[in-house]
Amino acid sequence: MAEDDADPRRGFLKMVIGGTTAAVGVLAAVPGIGFLLHPLRAKLAAAATAGNEPIRVAAVPADLKVGKPTRVEVISNVSDGWARLENVKLGAAWLIKSPEGRVRAFSTVCPHLGCGIDWDEKGGTFNCPCHQSGFGTEGQCLYGPSPRGLDELEVVASDSEIRVRYQRFKAATKLKEPI
Amino acid sequence: MTEPPTPRAQPRRPSSSRSTVPQKTKPGATALTRLGAWMDDRTGYSAVVKLITDEPIPGGARWWYVFGSVLTFLLVLEFITGILLAAYYDPSVSGAWASTAFIQDTLTFGWFIRGLHSFGSSALIVLAAVHAAQVVIFGAYKAPREMGWLSGLGFMGLLLLFALSGYGLPWDEKGYAAKQVDFMITGTAPIAGPWLQRLMQGGETMGNYTLTHINAAHTYILPALAVLILVVHIVIVKRHGVTPRWGTDEVRLARATQPFWPYQASRNAVACGVTFVILALIVIKMHGAELAGPADPTGNYQARPEWYMLPIYQVRKYFEGPLEMLIVVVSPAVISLLLGSLPWLDRAPDRDPRHRKPILVGAVIGAIMLCVLGYLPIRRDGKDAAFQQSRAEAEERAQLARTLAKKGVLPEGGLAVYRNDPAFHVRELWGQHCATCHSFTGAGGKDGPDFKGYNSRAWIAGFLRNPAGPGYMAGAKLEKGMKPVTGTDEELAALTELVYAETGASDADRALASKGQGLLSEKDCDSCHDFDGTSGNTGPNLKGRGTLAYLIDVIGDAGDDRLFGAKNKMPRFANKLSPEEIGDLARFVLAESRRQPAH
Repeated sequence: MAEDDADPRRGFLKMVIGGTTAAVGVLAAVPGIGFLLHPLRAKLAAAATAGNEPIRVAAVPADLKVGKPTRVEVISNVSDGWARLENVKLGAAWLIKSPEGRVRAFSTVCPHLGCGIDWDEKGGTFNCPCHQSGFGTEGQCLYGPSPRGLDELEVVASDSEIRVRYQRFKAATKLKEPI
Repeated sequence: MTEPPTPRAQPRRPSSSRSTVPQKTKPGATALTRLGAWMDDRTGYSAVVKLITDEPIPGGARWWYVFGSVLTFLLVLEFITGILLAAYYDPSVSGAWASTAFIQDTLTFGWFIRGLHSFGSSALIVLAAVHAAQVVIFGAYKAPREMGWLSGLGFMGLLLLFALSGYGLPWDEKGYAAKQVDFMITGTAPIAGPWLQRLMQGGETMGNYTLTHINAAHTYILPALAVLILVVHIVIVKRHGVTPRWGTDEVRLARATQPFWPYQASRNAVACGVTFVILALIVIKMHGAELAGPADPTGNYQARPEWYMLPIYQVRKYFEGPLEMLIVVVSPAVISLLLGSLPWLDRAPDRDPRHRKPILVGAVIGAIMLCVLGYLPIRRDGKDAAFQQSRAEAEERAQLARTLAKKGVLPEGGLAVYRNDPAFHVRELWGQHCATCHSFTGAGGKDGPDFKGYNSRAWIAGFLRNPAGPGYMAGAKLEKGMKPVTGTDEELAALTELVYAETGASDADRALASKGQGLLSEKDCDSCHDFDGTSGNTGPNLKGRGTLAYLIDVIGDAGDDRLFGAKNKMPRFANKLSPEEIGDLARFVLAESRRQPAH
């Protein structure tokens, strides 16, 4: 096979192999990567946040006691991939009534890394069970690694109902940025 | 005598030979070369690479050796597209069809990836058949290559199992109906049949287990087996080398020997490239693989197997009774046995096709029979107007379902997609809640009035003349129902016009209606019926009778004082259905009642 090493066709044939492999690779990779990266498409993100109306929760202002937060679930119909789901939990909020009767809502998602915030009855603080951040009844961060206070959610309240606009925010940032 | 040489791998060089021999390298490439040498010294990879690249091809590279590598390429393509599809596919009754429709119609390039995967499986079977035909013509299954032939046949069997299991995964009408048939056939197999059927479909009927089982088979078990068999096949084939054309003497073969790289490799690469382009063009032309409407256990989809199973489908028709099922199990077994025993049926070392006429003629006849058996059902279906009609309807359902699926599918399963269609939903409501008593046929409802032409003068006049007549309240069998209105035709016309005017019809004759108004007392209508829209009486208050609002009230609660009161027999729907659903039903009743018969 020694004479084959000197065969001038070898270089050309290697180019044929390289060219064909590269062409097939690109032709297959472009749709393949596009397919895998579908969730990154901007249009999807826009669609997910569109129509984000305040959602009625199972509490009215008269149920709430001043200084004692009440946890409510935010339930709505969602579109999840190929599925349309009815009455699923989007998340939860702590409702808290000020002495003047104003209702505020804080997301139960910890701004640090997303664990579920509990209310500590004895200490009168909101606590994160994962990384021990503590928050006051105004949502302000008292101690722990959380970079910001609890994320406040928009509330539309009347005597007969409370609506909460549920949103999620970027974790572990100083600024509260909706996702 | 042209017994082919059986070259073995070249003797392995010492692993460090590369790093010590000075290489012809371009400047700048030395670091890479040194890294390669270092890695080779530690792993010895170059010996493995050389094993492949230096494989001698006696007689030189040839185009007819490409099929094995094209098959391997297609299998890799199936693996890649399969993994991509697995990133979005949901193997459950609630999500299988919906996620497949999502892949097909919503995901970026989803139709293309799914199309490559689906048509690629057909390409694999075509190429496997071509590869096998080449082996048969070349007599390449002869000693000592019997195990190569058998492992190749085993691989073909796996391909069929891949296709059979994959066909059901979309859980569409087509796959569901076909799998139902497959499982039933399995169930008729002797001894282990019923047990196998229950194991594969995961119980007595098809459901979530069926999907998780065929999904596990299709995406884990079969790929693992395929890799195993392919490796075994390639190792065996490499052991004995390629089978050159018959009748070439060994001296000439040895003189013309070329290494695999790049001579055969370039041909293989071009063949793979051409295959890929053809496959991609077919996928683009067809806009991906077919997806029928969601699986419907009550449907009448005319199941046909995939094209490569049509011969068995056809041969089944020639046998009746218990034989029919037996033949479905036995004929593939006979074909496999015949093919598997070829190396022993055709033992002479002579590979020249001219000297192996019985075998080759037998193979050609077998192939032609398969083609004819496969073509017959296609031709029959093509001529069958009822089949074509049924397929056209199925196609229409598929289009509707796939359009509706873009709004998302409820987790009840694929069929829930139709609930996204307001028209379909209201029809379903009608079927569930109304159709047991009412109809639109004009022939008369069973337990309640028929609504064909409900707001027409004819319907109203007919009712007034004979309220308990067929098509009116006959089915309801009211005690002390309304008495027939007696009087002249003119009087009846006037009363009819009065009721007709309440429907809001624009062509109502006001003068005639007010004449009817004058007759209410005389005909004793007003002792039961009021016209003010508020008060209750023994008969319904006829204000706005036949309007949308009136129908909504009746459906909501026909037993309301203002309507049928104590005489009512119709269920109250106000709490059962949402206000939207009741509104849709009322609109549906009005629309259907006005519909002219199609013929």
